[in-house]
Amino acid sequence: MSPSPDQISDTPIIPDWQEVRTALARAMEERILILDGAMGTMIQRLSLTEENFQGERFRDWSHPLKGNNDLLVLTEPKMIEDIHLEYYLAGADIVETNTFSATSVAQADYACEEAVYDINYHGVLCARRAAIRAEETDGRRRFVAGALGPTNKTSSMSTDVNSPGHRAISFDELVEAYGEAIRGLVDAGADLLLFETITDTLNTKAGIFAAQRLFEERGIDVPIMISGTITDLSGRTLSGQTPTAFWYSIRHSNPITIGLNCALGADLMRDHISELSSVADTFICAYPNAGLPNEMGAYDETPEQMAGQLETFASEGLLNIVGGCCGSTPDHIRAIAETAARYAPRKVPSADRLLRLSGLEPFTLTKDIPFVNIGERTNVTGSARFRKLITAGDYTAALDVARDQVANGAQVIDINMDEGLIDSQQVMIEFLNLLAAEPDIAKVPLMIDSSKWEVIEAGLKCVQGKALVNSISLKEGEEAFIHHARLVKAYGAAVVVMAFDETGQADTKARKVEICTRAYKILTEVVGLPPEDIIFDPNVFAVATGIEEHNNYGVDFIEATKEITDSLPHVHISGGISNLSFSFRGNEPVREAMHAVFLYYAIQNGMDMGIVNAGQLAVYETIDKELRDACEDVILNRRADSTDRMLDLAERYKGQGGGAGKAKDMSWRELPVGERITHALVNGVTEFIEADTEEARQTFERPLHVIEGPLMAGMNVVGDLFGSGKMFLPQVVKSARVMKQAVAYLMPFMEAEKDANGDAAGRKSAGKVLMATVKGDVHDIGKNIVGVVLSCNNYEIIDLGVMVPTQKILDTAKAENVDIIGLSGLITPSLDEMVHVASEMEREGFDIPLLIGGATTSRVHTAVKIHPRYARGQAVHVNDASRAVGVVSNLLSDETKSTFIEQVRAEYAKAAAAHERAESEKRRLPLEAARSNAFKPDWTGYTPPAPSFLGTRSFTEFDLSELARYIDWTPFFQTWELKGRYPAILDDEKQGEAARALWADAQKMLRQIIDEKWFAPKAVLGFWPANAVGDDVRLFADDDRQSELATFFTLRQQLSKRDGKPNMALSDFVAPVDSGKRDYVGGFVVTAGIEEVAIAERFERANDDYSSILVKALADRFAEAMAEYMHERVRKDYWGYAPDEALSPDELVGEPYQGIRPAPGYPAQPDHTEKTTLFRLLDAENSVGVSLTESYAMWPGSSVSGIYLSHPDSYYFGVAKVERDQVLDYAQRKDMDVKEVERWLAPILNYIPGRVAAE
Amino acid sequence: MSRIDPIPVTLISDPAKLVPLDRDTALIRLPANSGHGHADGEICIACSGITDVRALLYNLLEEHRRNMRPAFSRVVVDASAVADSSQVVAALTGKLPAQALRDHTVARMFYLAG
Repeated sequence: MSPSPDQISDTPIIPDWQEVRTALARAMEERILILDGAMGTMIQRLSLTEENFQGERFRDWSHPLKGNNDLLVLTEPKMIEDIHLEYYLAGADIVETNTFSATSVAQADYACEEAVYDINYHGVLCARRAAIRAEETDGRRRFVAGALGPTNKTSSMSTDVNSPGHRAISFDELVEAYGEAIRGLVDAGADLLLFETITDTLNTKAGIFAAQRLFEERGIDVPIMISGTITDLSGRTLSGQTPTAFWYSIRHSNPITIGLNCALGADLMRDHISELSSVADTFICAYPNAGLPNEMGAYDETPEQMAGQLETFASEGLLNIVGGCCGSTPDHIRAIAETAARYAPRKVPSADRLLRLSGLEPFTLTKDIPFVNIGERTNVTGSARFRKLITAGDYTAALDVARDQVANGAQVIDINMDEGLIDSQQVMIEFLNLLAAEPDIAKVPLMIDSSKWEVIEAGLKCVQGKALVNSISLKEGEEAFIHHARLVKAYGAAVVVMAFDETGQADTKARKVEICTRAYKILTEVVGLPPEDIIFDPNVFAVATGIEEHNNYGVDFIEATKEITDSLPHVHISGGISNLSFSFRGNEPVREAMHAVFLYYAIQNGMDMGIVNAGQLAVYETIDKELRDACEDVILNRRADSTDRMLDLAERYKGQGGGAGKAKDMSWRELPVGERITHALVNGVTEFIEADTEEARQTFERPLHVIEGPLMAGMNVVGDLFGSGKMFLPQVVKSARVMKQAVAYLMPFMEAEKDANGDAAGRKSAGKVLMATVKGDVHDIGKNIVGVVLSCNNYEIIDLGVMVPTQKILDTAKAENVDIIGLSGLITPSLDEMVHVASEMEREGFDIPLLIGGATTSRVHTAVKIHPRYARGQAVHVNDASRAVGVVSNLLSDETKSTFIEQVRAEYAKAAAAHERAESEKRRLPLEAARSNAFKPDWTGYTPPAPSFLGTRSFTEFDLSELARYIDWTPFFQTWELKGRYPAILDDEKQGEAARALWADAQKMLRQIIDEKWFAPKAVLGFWPANAVGDDVRLFADDDRQSELATFFTLRQQLSKRDGKPNMALSDFVAPVDSGKRDYVGGFVVTAGIEEVAIAERFERANDDYSSILVKALADRFAEAMAEYMHERVRKDYWGYAPDEALSPDELVGEPYQGIRPAPGYPAQPDHTEKTTLFRLLDAENSVGVSLTESYAMWPGSSVSGIYLSHPDSYYFGVAKVERDQVLDYAQRKDMDVKEVERWLAPILNYIPGRVAAE
Repeated sequence: MSRIDPIPVTLISDPAKLVPLDRDTALIRLPANSGHGHADGEICIACSGITDVRALLYNLLEEHRRNMRPAFSRVVVDASAVADSSQVVAALTGKLPAQALRDHTVARMFYLAG
């Protein structure tokens, strides 16, 4: 122990902080001030022991205290004082107290939380004594900065990389901890507070919050210094911010200095200090480490070297305060002080009063940005999709929505969680915490949006950047307004203020201006908010509502905007534009035009921000003149009858689904031939295409040039419109038909040309794509659609059709030298087949991209099962035709390929990880437990109905027009990627036009199908006596139930159920053997027949893919209609348990009837191999001509099979994932090899077969 | 950060068992300590920038982004100078607490091979 100081003054000297601020500022204008060097390095040299640290106070402490340097201000105060003195005498103007780790958070490691206040208090006293001794020595004034470290926890990041949403400490806890430390420092009279070595900006914001709260309580204003840390090459703080973003985040603390410390050495800090120096309108402070240490454990940088490096800072005018961090000593500080004395200090620049926000990166609203688009799609009140994702807890997809907005150029994104069904505050916190870990989203500033203040406040406590609050107002009076505004300021945010006061929302110009002016006065004069951080929302209201008082609302807003921005300097104007056109809901063209016209005038008058869907804004200049004039009349209230005129005009635009309106006419025939071809392609008109093609041919040198010229140009327009969502799939397929017919017309000319000059130079395609439906599967509509869309975009398609073996795919790919392979499949066994193709591609050394599509395929399956098997190339899941072109062109472009693949891989890595997490979190029951929680209907009071016949019966005579009444049209539209329910889809704002055209074509073909008997449907039914035995359904040869005929095996749900819900298996719906009840099951196979295959081929040969796909889609619908129709007959007649059922075909869609018809391979019984039993019992191949492929798909494809169950409680459920115990049991029951069962159930196994077996 | 392949990281702790390098491999040598002479187990944030394998991996990405080094598909970390390589393993397997946002990026972009 060193001797105690002669006398310890316990009476602190409390400075006049205003005087300190002035004195420092004046000094910093005259010269570069000097900060001290490292304390730790000096303590290290003293080689202290545990006893030194313990002192009297911590004798026999529970934790070893050596290394807890801060304690020394209590236990060895003289040593610390002497180190301070050394620094002062070496030239330091300011020393930092030895209190870096003196917060309850950091002291918890030593169980010294109780000493925190004392350490801070005595830390200042030690430094102050040294300051007085130094001043006595040389008469120069010295300052004491109370050091506040970052704590050892982070509030804006998770310490667990596997759980990015987790936080080890909250903002509130940090406010508490910093508050205690700051009280100690301030009570002891620290001249300054120095937040240093900042690792997490949000921590520091909590420290600032605590400091400002204390200042407010005491009516003081202690100058604050802020010093961040950058330690890697990226030039970001540890929490990921750029230096400027960091500055914007903490600027609200009005710091006397901003700067950096700790870094790897002065040379590596220069660029970042330079950046801060150029943006910060305050003093700059830099104190780097003493250079990179060498491997011998000493420091490379001598005092002279370090001073030399810092000299460049000084000579470039970057410095106001300079000092040293780790490794620097009084000798270093002396050398630095001598160097600094030779240079003039940096001049503090002035900063324009601009709105400056930040995420990880800064955003400055300069004059170059006329209007800030605030992304609105992460707002649950504005986006139905986002609301669904959030209420379903799908944060991964919700983050993707945010990511897309940023990728699409949103400068700020609005986050709103105001949804009644969720805990908005908690969800806001969770979402923001997860978002913080996504650098590609978190780079932009956030708008924290809620009608509830507590949600906004919770959000503000999660963001390290400078956010926007939306919104506060005078609605509840001045007191609440001031309270909220003060908090906005304390959290370092900017704010949207609604023009709303105690009497209501401002509607007239006068009221808007009056309220905003009043709010401005309060905010700038009472609260002290910078005016550039104020955004007024003067309320956009609906116009043209038919109510006369509303007519001037547009003018009121625009004029108020002008007056507010003219009279209240630096403020901004925002608003929710969509309110304006509220009375034209459902008429998108008119709404878009109104918004565009409104913004055109509002922006001219000072509006510079808005929550809008940027993709849905029309361009003012391109709006039809007539419509634009009408909009201007309404918005600018130019005529008394403007609303009536607008309403009349609006009728004409209704249902056009956005874009500029156009009336149908034949005037396009007057256009030049190239434009006519484009028009024909875009509108799918085949009528004139041959004539137009001929005309074009005559103007070009070679027929090929017609294809490469006007035809491709037209298809490019189609591609662009489709890509941007302005055309829909049926329209594109019709365009393809026009294209094919034009090419077919040109073919003979091209052949002739070839014969004439032997020139084989053909058309150059954008790439060769091989497409196939995998072995065992027969479904190809989706594949054909993708093929057509790709061929429209100039890709050459080699379509191998259906049931294609792997070897044929690979051989063809090699022989044709294709650029890409696309696989399709609909049934679950095809998933495995695709994995097989991928493995074979890997084995045979392929590296071309592999596209995966089809109904049962999924991104997760591709990510988890296919992608890992094909490392040489890249498997990509593409499930809709609208994405196919983008994906293929990205994959075949040298420029975008690698970036695109990187994105896909990242996405798959994430999907796979999320999948694994989600699966491991789902609790599943052992089979025995699931069985004991089976569904057990009361059999005692129930008599199962007996069918009218036993055995099988076939049907071949059907009335096609009768069957057509049973068609469920919704899936038909889904086939064409038109999303919505029939019949509402026909009136859909966007897709309605395309849907109606498709509907008309479908009806026309349906009439032909019926009139010309294109299809010959067949059906076979059977009923058998049956009883459940455990999870199986045993079928008997006859009603004696003595000899067994067959067994339907079923699978049981193993998901852990809540609320007493049972674990279902299909066998639960059949009376058990021991119930003594005579129960029955039925089975069926229906088919629309083989005829569609030939008809579709005929259309293809005629270059009419549109009709080919249409007939296949209709055949599928007929098969489903047959199933519905036969099921009704079964209920009413053949089984006859519901003879009085009276439901119209439309009502059947909802399946409101008694009994079900589950199909093997679908969720209630996912095992496709069960079809074998069903088909054998029904002798389906002979009776209706339907056979099974090796993957248990039915051929012909337009067929449906299933079993009939009659129990009134029966319903469709999903078995979902099963555990290995059930698979073993099932294999034994079914007498199948376990591996074989695992193969067929692969998609629903809740374990990885190989992995378990190895255990 | 545009480059997002999950990149395998091979750890070597025995200097006698060096692995062959090729043009697609980036090599990192972990120093025994930062040289700042901190007490055992103590480290300052700047020193982490020199000694923490995650910071060094992040710098590799940054170097590539700035065209300071060619693309790489594999990283070999020579930890033979480090007394206790279990810390390095912990850092690469997400078991060491993240100190910076970059540690989250590194966790997503690299994985410990073998």
